[in-house]
Amino acid sequence: MDREPGLTPSPYDAPDLYDLIFESLQFDVPYYVAQGRVANGPVLEVACGTGRVLLALLAAGVDADGFDLSEPMIERLREKAAERNLPARVSVADMRDFTLTRRYARAFCAFNAFAHCDTIDEQLRALRCIRDHLEPGGALVIHMSYPSTSLWLGTDGEPVFELETPHPLNDHRLQMWDTRFKNIVEQRQRSEVELRELTAGGDVVDRTRFETTQRWIYRFEFELLFRLAGFARWEIFGGFEHEALERDDQQMLAWAWRD
Amino acid sequence: MSPAAAAPDTGGHRGPYVDPVLYDIVYSWYDADLAFYVELAKRSAGPVLEVACGTGRILLPTRAAGVDIDGIDLEPAMIERLRAKAAAANLSVDVAVADMRDFTRPRRYALITIPFRAFMHLKTTEDQLRALRCIRDHLEPGGALVMNQFYPSPRFMAEHDGKRTCDREFQHPDDGTRVELWDLSRYDRVNQVTTVEREVVRTDAAGARHTLHRYTFTLRWSYRFELELLLEAAGYRHWEVRGGFDGRPLERETDEMIWTASPD
Repeated sequence: MDREPGLTPSPYDAPDLYDLIFESLQFDVPYYVAQGRVANGPVLEVACGTGRVLLALLAAGVDADGFDLSEPMIERLREKAAERNLPARVSVADMRDFTLTRRYARAFCAFNAFAHCDTIDEQLRALRCIRDHLEPGGALVIHMSYPSTSLWLGTDGEPVFELETPHPLNDHRLQMWDTRFKNIVEQRQRSEVELRELTAGGDVVDRTRFETTQRWIYRFEFELLFRLAGFARWEIFGGFEHEALERDDQQMLAWAWRD
Repeated sequence: MSPAAAAPDTGGHRGPYVDPVLYDIVYSWYDADLAFYVELAKRSAGPVLEVACGTGRILLPTRAAGVDIDGIDLEPAMIERLRAKAAAANLSVDVAVADMRDFTRPRRYALITIPFRAFMHLKTTEDQLRALRCIRDHLEPGGALVMNQFYPSPRFMAEHDGKRTCDREFQHPDDGTRVELWDLSRYDRVNQVTTVEREVVRTDAAGARHTLHRYTFTLRWSYRFELELLLEAAGYRHWEVRGGFDGRPLERETDEMIWTASPD
């Protein structure tokens, strides 16, 4: 997660742009809101970003706290919470080493945020730290994309069109292009992301570049991480309906219980 | 290499390990790992145990080189053939039928090996951990486990899944006639299991083709970091992985993984 100086900036340094692309994503929000409502205790969102999920939890009346490594992201979350008159208890913290005073019935780590843990050591430190913040009977829920054959065999080193969304402030469009560099043995993907702003006529009027790294996890590897971090039991689902994980093009929803 | 799971999962066909003569024919062409394991054993500071020693493809040349090496294998027929080959070569061997997940030997070893991807017969994390712990308990202080295995690369899976291909062609060790191994592999990518339906076809001197055998076997693969976590969970403290028997670094997903692990 630590960034070397001189590299392209992290997308998390520009939360307004991040939100232009990602804020409208809803695919996972109803799941977390539903799980938060039946959590029977407070909820912690690990790596809550600008609050895409956390603000929805708060709006639904869930007692939810959150933290993120990026100060700019947390600042933007606070602004959005204030605009919506939602009480946001959030802080800047590192999932590998954080201390909060409360204990939680559920901890959520959404949208591949756990892929920012780059090594086994970082993964285990984060899992142990999260486990220490769970109440007895509490559970951690992590959503990660499965590292599929098609991910690994996808184009390397050339910009690939990822998504397009209307610009919320004018008649322009925003496009996200992703140039990936993958290492299958290291289970690592480095992405050079370019955001393009296009006029209605298709002229590119602005380009912003970011860089991110993701460290993917396979199923049995995930189970061993939970075991080594001290979780008592775990279950790996194949999606938000808790369907069985059977194919590598499914999403991976990992539940791990403290006790 | 012999099955770790006692229950046959061969879909009605019997696996290769109940017919050790056929087994020796099917792998008669393979020796890429032999020098590595023999040299490793010769350099060992103390006794050596080969886990899943089969009919002695590696164990017998190692013993012939003067190494104090014992062996275990799950399949009685394989051990029986090993003993017959040892007797024919006038070699004394201490080998036993035993399960790598749960075995007890009277002595401790400076080196324990699991060659030829035999660890991939262990189908669950629990079985893998039991085997690694049992092996750890049989190591002398300062001793090490050495094993090799692989995982199918994404490209290989994409190109081979469900396709029947001739994986290997070689000469029959008895008479030089052509033998082909035709494999149909299926990959369960989230459960990390390859199921191989294999047909062994021999072409006789007159050019007629005969199916010698059909069998199905499964291999459970593990990825690199998964293996590191398994070693840690089983109580090993140091390990190293190489990308080939020549000791090169592990860099490509098509590399064989050669693991050395020690509890101390």
